[in-house]
Amino acid sequence: MGVALGAGLAVSIAGIGGGIGMGVAGGKAFEAIARQPEVGGDVRTLLFITLAFIETLTIYGLVIAFMLVGKI
Amino acid sequence: MVFGMLDGVFFKLGPIPVDHIIFTEWVIIGLIGLIAFFATRDMQMVPRGLQNAFEAIIVFTYDFFTQLMDKEHVAKKWAPLLTTFFLFIILSNYSGLLPGAAGLAGFQPPTSNWNITLTLALITFCSVHVAGFAEHSVGYLGHFVSPSPLMLPLNLVEEIAHPLSLTVRLFGNIFGEEMVIAFLLFMVPFLIPGALMALSLLLGAIQAIVFTLLSASYIAAAAGESH
Repeated sequence: MGVALGAGLAVSIAGIGGGIGMGVAGGKAFEAIARQPEVGGDVRTLLFITLAFIETLTIYGLVIAFMLVGKI
Repeated sequence: MVFGMLDGVFFKLGPIPVDHIIFTEWVIIGLIGLIAFFATRDMQMVPRGLQNAFEAIIVFTYDFFTQLMDKEHVAKKWAPLLTTFFLFIILSNYSGLLPGAAGLAGFQPPTSNWNITLTLALITFCSVHVAGFAEHSVGYLGHFVSPSPLMLPLNLVEEIAHPLSLTVRLFGNIFGEEMVIAFLLFMVPFLIPGALMALSLLLGAIQAIVFTLLSASYIAAAAGESH
């Protein structure tokens, strides 16, 4: 029971943080591209790298959740 | 078998068991090698067909890495490795998308096993330091005590954290995606998993690009100026 709850909490709390961070990063990138469309390529590359870094933190939560599910 | 994760050992090579993940990896390596062999077998001054496609890929990746790394000779040296990373990872990710692949030995993405992604990350880890020493010789060690010797432990932790995050990112993404598809196939066998598989077509490409880009930027940081 506790382990199942922990698995759910691990991935959901990690998802909240990652979602907020990705939303802020993506929104700012769109603002930048809308203001200066000629730097679109550079911003897009940087955005992908940033999103990958943010996503990793969420994925850490997911991996922990899988480990916990394996223990049930 | 847990959620389509098989532990099938095909045969033993001496003391080393060869399971389906390694077998799939060999098939992918063979496929890339075979295509590359046929593309370069009968090279001509004016390229046609497969040779043309490969030359386009090579020119594109050289330009891309040169722009990313600033130093042209470093980019020229490491572009073949990074392009191979990209081709291998994208083919591995897509090998799980064949119909019914999740429950079939031999078609699971090798990248959904953390041994494979750790190997790829360790290759990156070694090439980062080889690139650093080749570019700055012993002066590269100064990079560990910059900006001050107090930062030495933090810099060392960072060096360990890079391959670790590369490993977990690729493994977690592909493994998680396979798990979600397996769950959906178990609950709704028709149509709905197809939508998710279309999404994972995009995700697999993005993860391959991200792994390659991060490896390139780590190598560029080690071989770059300002140490």
